[in-house]
Amino acid sequence: MKEISIDISDDGEVRIETKGFKGKACLLESKFLKDLLGKQTFQELTPAYYVTQKQDTKKYLNLCG
Amino acid sequence: MSHISKIEIEIQSIEDLKQACNELGLEFREGQKDYKWYGTQRESVSGNDNQTDLGKCDHAIKVPGAKYEIGIVKKGKHYELLWDNYYTGGLEEKVGKNAGFLKQAYSIQRIKREARIKGYRVVQKKVTNGIRLVLSF
Repeated sequence: MKEISIDISDDGEVRIETKGFKGKACLLESKFLKDLLGKQTFQELTPAYYVTQKQDTKKYLNLCG
Repeated sequence: MSHISKIEIEIQSIEDLKQACNELGLEFREGQKDYKWYGTQRESVSGNDNQTDLGKCDHAIKVPGAKYEIGIVKKGKHYELLWDNYYTGGLEEKVGKNAGFLKQAYSIQRIKREARIKGYRVVQKKVTNGIRLVLSF
Protein backbone atom coordinates (compact mmCIF):
# COMPACT_ATOMS: atom_id res chain seq x y z
CA MET A 1 0.00 0.00 0.00
CA LYS A 2 1.29 3.45 -0.90
CA GLU A 3 1.37 5.93 1.95
CA ILE A 4 2.82 9.31 2.78
CA SER A 5 3.41 9.76 6.50
CA ILE A 6 3.94 13.30 7.82
CA ASP A 7 5.15 13.88 11.38
CA ILE A 8 4.70 17.44 12.63
CA SER A 9 6.48 17.91 15.94
CA ASP A 10 5.38 20.24 18.73
CA ASP A 11 8.23 22.56 17.80
CA GLY A 12 6.93 22.83 14.23
CA GLU A 13 9.39 20.54 12.45
CA VAL A 14 7.93 18.53 9.60
CA ARG A 15 9.25 15.12 8.52
CA ILE A 16 7.82 13.41 5.47
CA GLU A 17 8.27 9.71 4.80
CA THR A 18 6.95 7.89 1.77
CA LYS A 19 6.24 4.16 1.85
CA GLY A 20 5.39 1.62 -0.80
CA PHE A 21 6.66 3.62 -3.75
CA LYS A 22 9.33 2.42 -6.12
CA GLY A 23 11.76 4.66 -7.89
CA LYS A 24 11.14 8.36 -8.44
CA ALA A 25 7.36 8.06 -7.96
CA CYS A 26 7.80 8.89 -4.27
CA LEU A 27 9.44 12.23 -5.05
CA LEU A 28 6.75 13.18 -7.53
CA GLU A 29 3.90 12.10 -5.26
CA SER A 30 5.18 14.04 -2.24
CA LYS A 31 6.35 17.14 -4.09
CA PHE A 32 3.05 18.94 -3.54
CA LEU A 33 3.56 18.68 0.23
CA LYS A 34 7.00 20.25 0.06
CA ASP A 35 5.66 23.04 -2.13
CA LEU A 36 2.79 23.62 0.30
CA LEU A 37 4.83 23.76 3.45
CA GLY A 38 8.10 25.51 2.70
CA LYS A 39 11.72 24.64 2.12
CA GLN A 40 13.23 21.17 2.17
CA THR A 41 16.22 21.07 4.50
CA PHE A 42 17.08 17.36 4.35
CA GLN A 43 16.42 14.38 2.10
CA GLU A 44 17.47 10.77 2.36
CA LEU A 45 16.73 8.25 -0.36
CA THR A 46 16.05 4.74 0.88
CA PRO A 47 16.87 1.51 -1.01
CA ALA A 48 13.37 1.31 -2.48
CA TYR A 49 14.06 4.54 -4.32
CA TYR A 50 16.61 2.75 -6.46
CA VAL A 51 14.19 -0.03 -7.40
CA THR A 52 12.83 0.72 -10.84
CA GLN A 53 9.32 -0.18 -11.89
CA LYS A 54 9.79 -3.53 -13.56
CA GLN A 55 7.81 -4.36 -16.67
CA ASP A 56 6.69 -7.93 -17.06
CA THR A 57 8.35 -9.50 -20.05
CA LYS A 58 7.34 -12.86 -21.47
CA LYS A 59 10.08 -15.28 -22.31
CA TYR A 60 9.39 -18.02 -24.82
CA LEU A 61 11.24 -21.27 -24.98
CA ASN A 62 11.74 -22.40 -28.49
CA LEU A 63 10.40 -25.96 -28.49
CA CYS A 64 10.58 -26.56 -32.21
CA GLY A 65 14.32 -26.41 -32.49
CA MET B 1 10.19 3.12 2.28
CA SER B 2 11.18 5.32 -0.53
CA HIS B 3 12.54 8.52 0.89
CA ILE B 4 12.54 10.81 3.93
CA SER B 5 12.50 14.61 3.86
CA LYS B 6 12.54 17.37 6.44
CA ILE B 7 10.81 20.67 5.73
CA GLU B 8 11.21 24.11 7.24
CA ILE B 9 7.79 25.71 7.48
CA GLU B 10 6.95 28.88 5.55
CA ILE B 11 3.55 30.48 6.09
CA GLN B 12 2.03 30.79 2.61
CA SER B 13 -1.71 30.70 3.30
CA ILE B 14 -3.44 33.27 5.50
CA GLU B 15 -6.65 31.21 5.35
CA ASP B 16 -4.93 28.18 6.84
CA LEU B 17 -3.22 30.36 9.45
CA LYS B 18 -6.62 31.75 10.47
CA GLN B 19 -7.96 28.22 10.77
CA ALA B 20 -4.94 27.23 12.87
CA CYS B 21 -5.61 30.19 15.19
CA ASN B 22 -9.21 29.04 15.61
CA GLU B 23 -8.03 25.53 16.47
CA LEU B 24 -5.71 26.91 19.16
CA GLY B 25 -8.17 29.46 20.54
CA LEU B 26 -6.12 32.44 19.29
CA GLU B 27 -7.63 35.58 17.81
CA PHE B 28 -6.54 36.43 14.26
CA ARG B 29 -6.71 40.21 13.83
CA GLU B 30 -6.90 40.90 10.13
CA GLY B 31 -5.33 44.18 9.05
CA GLN B 32 -3.92 45.10 12.48
CA LYS B 33 -0.77 47.05 11.66
CA ASP B 34 1.17 46.75 14.90
CA TYR B 35 1.69 44.11 17.56
CA LYS B 36 2.50 44.42 21.24
CA TRP B 37 6.05 43.63 22.31
CA TYR B 38 8.55 44.74 24.94
CA GLY B 39 9.72 47.72 22.92
CA THR B 40 13.49 47.44 22.96
CA GLN B 41 14.09 43.75 22.45
CA ARG B 42 12.30 41.24 20.31
CA GLU B 43 12.73 37.88 18.65
CA SER B 44 12.04 37.11 15.04
CA VAL B 45 11.41 33.54 14.00
CA SER B 46 13.58 34.13 10.96
CA GLY B 47 15.79 36.63 12.76
CA ASN B 48 16.67 38.88 9.87
CA ASP B 49 14.40 41.91 10.05
CA ASN B 50 15.74 45.41 10.23
CA GLN B 51 15.05 47.84 13.03
CA THR B 52 12.55 49.94 11.07
CA ASP B 53 10.17 46.99 11.05
CA LEU B 54 10.00 46.66 14.83
CA GLY B 55 6.44 46.36 16.01
CA LYS B 56 4.94 46.78 12.55
CA CYS B 57 2.98 44.10 10.76
CA ASP B 58 0.27 43.35 8.17
CA HIS B 59 -1.91 41.28 10.50
CA ALA B 60 -1.60 40.23 14.14
CA ILE B 61 -2.55 37.40 16.45
CA LYS B 62 -3.89 38.05 19.94
CA VAL B 63 -3.08 35.22 22.34
CA PRO B 64 -5.53 35.05 25.26
CA GLY B 65 -3.67 35.34 28.55
CA ALA B 66 -0.49 36.73 26.97
CA LYS B 67 0.63 40.35 27.26
CA TYR B 68 2.41 40.44 23.91
CA GLU B 69 1.08 39.68 20.41
CA ILE B 70 2.37 37.95 17.29
CA GLY B 71 2.92 40.08 14.20
CA ILE B 72 2.41 38.66 10.71
CA VAL B 73 4.54 40.34 8.06
CA LYS B 74 4.39 39.66 4.34
CA LYS B 75 7.80 38.92 2.86
CA GLY B 76 7.60 38.23 -0.84
CA LYS B 77 5.32 35.25 -1.40
CA HIS B 78 5.17 34.13 2.20
CA TYR B 79 4.54 35.54 5.67
CA GLU B 80 6.80 35.69 8.71
CA LEU B 81 5.72 35.48 12.33
CA LEU B 82 7.37 38.14 14.48
CA TRP B 83 7.17 38.15 18.24
CA ASP B 84 8.95 38.86 21.45
CA ASN B 85 9.54 35.64 23.33
CA TYR B 86 10.61 37.29 26.60
CA TYR B 87 8.88 35.23 29.27
CA THR B 88 6.89 38.09 30.79
CA GLY B 89 5.08 38.46 27.46
CA GLY B 90 3.58 35.00 27.90
CA LEU B 91 3.69 33.96 24.25
CA GLU B 92 6.08 31.01 24.35
CA GLU B 93 4.01 29.36 27.05
CA LYS B 94 0.93 29.51 24.80
CA VAL B 95 2.29 28.93 21.28
CA GLY B 96 5.42 26.92 22.08
CA LYS B 97 9.08 27.47 21.41
CA ASN B 98 9.57 29.25 18.08
CA ALA B 99 5.75 29.29 17.78
CA GLY B 100 5.91 25.52 17.30
CA PHE B 101 2.28 24.82 18.26
CA LEU B 102 1.08 27.48 15.85
CA LYS B 103 3.27 26.14 13.01
CA GLN B 104 2.07 22.63 13.79
CA ALA B 105 -1.61 23.62 13.67
CA TYR B 106 -1.00 25.58 10.45
CA SER B 107 0.76 22.63 8.80
CA ILE B 108 -2.07 20.27 9.71
CA GLN B 109 -4.67 22.60 8.19
CA ARG B 110 -2.59 23.15 5.08
CA ILE B 111 -1.92 19.48 4.46
CA LYS B 112 -5.48 18.31 5.16
CA ARG B 113 -7.03 20.87 2.85
CA GLU B 114 -4.79 20.10 -0.12
CA ALA B 115 -4.62 16.35 0.43
CA ARG B 116 -8.41 16.07 0.36
CA ILE B 117 -8.59 18.13 -2.81
CA LYS B 118 -6.15 15.66 -4.36
CA GLY B 119 -8.29 12.71 -3.25
CA TYR B 120 -6.11 11.29 -0.49
CA ARG B 121 -7.57 9.61 2.57
CA VAL B 122 -6.18 11.46 5.61
CA VAL B 123 -5.83 9.92 9.08
CA GLN B 124 -4.58 12.01 12.01
CA LYS B 125 -3.08 10.52 15.15
CA LYS B 126 -1.17 11.74 18.20
CA VAL B 127 2.41 10.51 18.46
CA THR B 128 5.21 11.23 20.91
CA ASN B 129 6.20 14.90 20.56
CA GLY B 130 3.66 15.72 17.89
CA ILE B 131 0.99 14.78 15.37
CA ARG B 132 1.16 12.28 12.49
CA LEU B 133 -0.89 12.57 9.33
CA VAL B 134 -1.04 9.52 7.09
CA LEU B 135 -2.11 10.06 3.49
CA SER B 136 -3.14 7.03 1.48
CA PHE B 137 -4.85 6.33 -1.81
